[in-house]
Amino acid sequence: MTQAAQYRPSLLARVISLFSGVGGLLVKLLLLCVLNGITGWAIIVLFTQDRIAWALGTIAVLGLIDFIYLVPNRFLPAKFIIPGSVLLIAYLIVPIFFTINTAFQEYSTGHVLTKAEAIDTNIEQNVVQGDRFFQMTPARDASGELVLVLVDDTSGQTYLGRQSGLEEIDSTTVSVDDFGDVLPPAGFTALVGDELFAIDAELAAFEVPLDNGGVIRTEGLSGAYDSVPGFEYDASSDSLIAADSGVAYRDNGRGSFTSADGEELVVGWREYIGFENFTSVITNPLVRQPFLRAFVWTIGFAGSTVLLSFAIGLFLAKVIDKPNFRGKKLYRSMLVIPYAIPGFLSLLVFKGLLNDDYGLINKLLPFDPPWLFDPWWARLSVILVSVWLTTPYFLLVCMGALQSIPAELVEAARVDGAGRWQVFRKVTLPLLLVVVTPLLIASFAYNFNNFNNVYLLTGGGPSTDDQAVAGATDILISYTYKLAFESGKGQDYGLASAISVYIFFIVAAMSASGFLRSKALENMK
Amino acid sequence: MKKHLAKFVAGLTVAAFAALSMPTASGAATTLRIWADADRKASVEKVAGAWGKKNGVTVTVVQKDFGKIRDDLKTVDVATAPDVIVGAHDWVGELAANGSVIPLTVSKSVAAKIPSYSLDAFSYANAKGNKVLYGAPVALENVGLVVNTKVAKVPTSFDDMVSQALAFQKKATGNFGLVIPGGDAYHNYPLFSGLCGYVFGKDAKGNLNSSDVGVGNAKLLDNASQIDSWNKSGLLSSKVDYGIAKNAFLAGKAAFWVTGPWEKDTLDKSGLKVQIVQMPKNKCDSVPFLGVQGFMVTKFAKTHGVESQARDLVGSYMMSAGAQTQLSSENGRAPANTDAAAKITDPLLKQFAAAGKGGVPMPNIPEMSSVWGDLGTAWTNVFKGADATPAKSAFRTAGKNIVAKIG
Repeated sequence: MTQAAQYRPSLLARVISLFSGVGGLLVKLLLLCVLNGITGWAIIVLFTQDRIAWALGTIAVLGLIDFIYLVPNRFLPAKFIIPGSVLLIAYLIVPIFFTINTAFQEYSTGHVLTKAEAIDTNIEQNVVQGDRFFQMTPARDASGELVLVLVDDTSGQTYLGRQSGLEEIDSTTVSVDDFGDVLPPAGFTALVGDELFAIDAELAAFEVPLDNGGVIRTEGLSGAYDSVPGFEYDASSDSLIAADSGVAYRDNGRGSFTSADGEELVVGWREYIGFENFTSVITNPLVRQPFLRAFVWTIGFAGSTVLLSFAIGLFLAKVIDKPNFRGKKLYRSMLVIPYAIPGFLSLLVFKGLLNDDYGLINKLLPFDPPWLFDPWWARLSVILVSVWLTTPYFLLVCMGALQSIPAELVEAARVDGAGRWQVFRKVTLPLLLVVVTPLLIASFAYNFNNFNNVYLLTGGGPSTDDQAVAGATDILISYTYKLAFESGKGQDYGLASAISVYIFFIVAAMSASGFLRSKALENMK
Repeated sequence: MKKHLAKFVAGLTVAAFAALSMPTASGAATTLRIWADADRKASVEKVAGAWGKKNGVTVTVVQKDFGKIRDDLKTVDVATAPDVIVGAHDWVGELAANGSVIPLTVSKSVAAKIPSYSLDAFSYANAKGNKVLYGAPVALENVGLVVNTKVAKVPTSFDDMVSQALAFQKKATGNFGLVIPGGDAYHNYPLFSGLCGYVFGKDAKGNLNSSDVGVGNAKLLDNASQIDSWNKSGLLSSKVDYGIAKNAFLAGKAAFWVTGPWEKDTLDKSGLKVQIVQMPKNKCDSVPFLGVQGFMVTKFAKTHGVESQARDLVGSYMMSAGAQTQLSSENGRAPANTDAAAKITDPLLKQFAAAGKGGVPMPNIPEMSSVWGDLGTAWTNVFKGADATPAKSAFRTAGKNIVAKIG
């Protein structure tokens, strides 16, 4: 029939058909090869970095994918599920796992190394320098052994330093040239250029033992100094022992070496400390004191931002939606502009506009509200700017949603004698809410953690009368940033992660209750 | 059929990943990698390149945002990690505690050419309370009082500065007397030290003591009424931010401006007649914070097997007068090496350097991160005009908060 001859499959259908037949097989193989190639390279990199578990995991996943796609038709559903699942795991599960894992660790400034590294670093930082410094040239003797030719830079006495010990030599055999380089005695060849590069690690670790128990170590390529160790690691008691006083610094189980009288070594390591980060959020008075205020303000900020921008967005959408509205497209694009400009920019621009004495807004207004300097005005500023940034989103959403409401329903209501306002309240709004409520909840959750708006506009300030750590406009996330990254010794990733876990539960609980309500709305249909 | 397919896939895969893994295989280390910021990249390339040529080492300079150098060092992959970084001295405490940089030793002859405060700035106390050096200081910077000599004279005393500023301010609307970015603890430090404020005291061995916080110390609180009077007379306002301060001064509408050598080019080009001095002594010397920039050797130099080379570059070459003269002329900061410093000819740079006399290096212990926010808030609150917090209570609270945050 002619109908069949005229049938043209849709674009989607044609794309799908690419994956069948011989051509499809080739496309499939090509894609698989690219995936295998890139992943194989990643596996090699993981192996070279000693991340064995990750490498093996990647191999297993890759094998699974190859298997599923190469064995025809037996695992059909898996072919569709696996790409999504892999992305879900990579972008959602893994970060969550890392955050929770970090929340149980002491991981902060001074606690970033592994324990073995921390032991070495403490020993290295506590080497006690002697008072002698030498000019040095690395050289090889006739047998090819590495020897340091040393000139004491105060006495001028010359030495040969070997791994077996220090040997004084006649200072006339060694000379120093115009550049300050030491020229070795006859029979020794100085190492230069590539030869130096080749022995770099050997030279850095080279130690000439001295009679007093100390050593001469090299410093770079042309210096050396005498030193005695300050700490020694005792594996049997798992402690660092001070060489002079004999004081033992023991592993305190929390990522540090501490002495009996509580003195703590500077360099610690990452260590699991159980629920300590979680409890310290509760016990720390700096956290507890302003928590309730910050919490209430966070809800107020997120709630009013969402409700106001939804109300304004809906109003504008209704206005523009009128069929006989002229210049509709122009208005629509103008109204979307705040959404198109990067938030960073608008926030900084607003910061300037709102300046109390020199900002444009106060120059235009007949009175001078202290926008960023008074706690309540600053809260108002933050909400207004957030509303300005969020309204276009709800404008777009509402314009779409309004289209989807069947005109017959509105007409029927009008016929039944309902006024405009009644129609809007009883018909349009409930139907709209069914669509928009999940978006309202998502937007609330987003604004609950809207760090940028607060931090770039007011920096959390101005401070309240008690000058607590949380300023007047600090929401939970900006306030915890201050706690975790601007107090104590700087960064405290463990604490920050613990707080994010808390915030996750708060947002999750609020969203869940919101979704339950939106289900009730849906049932109304 | 299926077996052939599998072989085909396997073959192609091997080829693909062999091609992709080429760059990793050829990345063996015969080079020294340096991280530097945009301002310094060119000069570091030149100076370190000259050293590299002499020693037969290829030097690669990677450009990073200055602050990013410190942040990225924590997360960088060993393969692409730097062996040497350019950094600020106030990072040293954190980097040493994290084991990210390694200790250096310098000969007495080298140390003699570098002022001891800048070596101390790059040092951090170890468990025994001994100062351990972690970097080569190469450039110094500090704020000074920039005087627009067309409208004001170089002040003879602190009171003279205040009265000249107020007189100029009253001359015309839109005039400023003294402009300092509001709520900024760094730029306000000369005022703070002039009233006998300090951030951290020192212990018996001369190391910074984080349990001695001087933000709310008794002397400062006694002198705090002066701050209230500056607020009352309108001399200073926290609404003046960096941009407003700069624009006002460049337009000739401010008599005095507190700023540093990073504005030297702007001042040169402005056509204003200026002189830079240290803010006159108030109750105590009105000294600025000193910032020292320099080079540090990272722990990665060890893993890359270039430790001795990196130590040679940082610990002896970069400390030399020759290297520092060249670095200084390219990035407009006073060099740390005294021989190189004696050779500065630029008048403004010389004046900025002189304005730093007796200055306090910004504390380099990690606890400093607890200080900036609260000290800044105190400055904001005391210059708020009509509803300002009395300085005495603002600084007392700031001091208390800082002690609590350090814990």
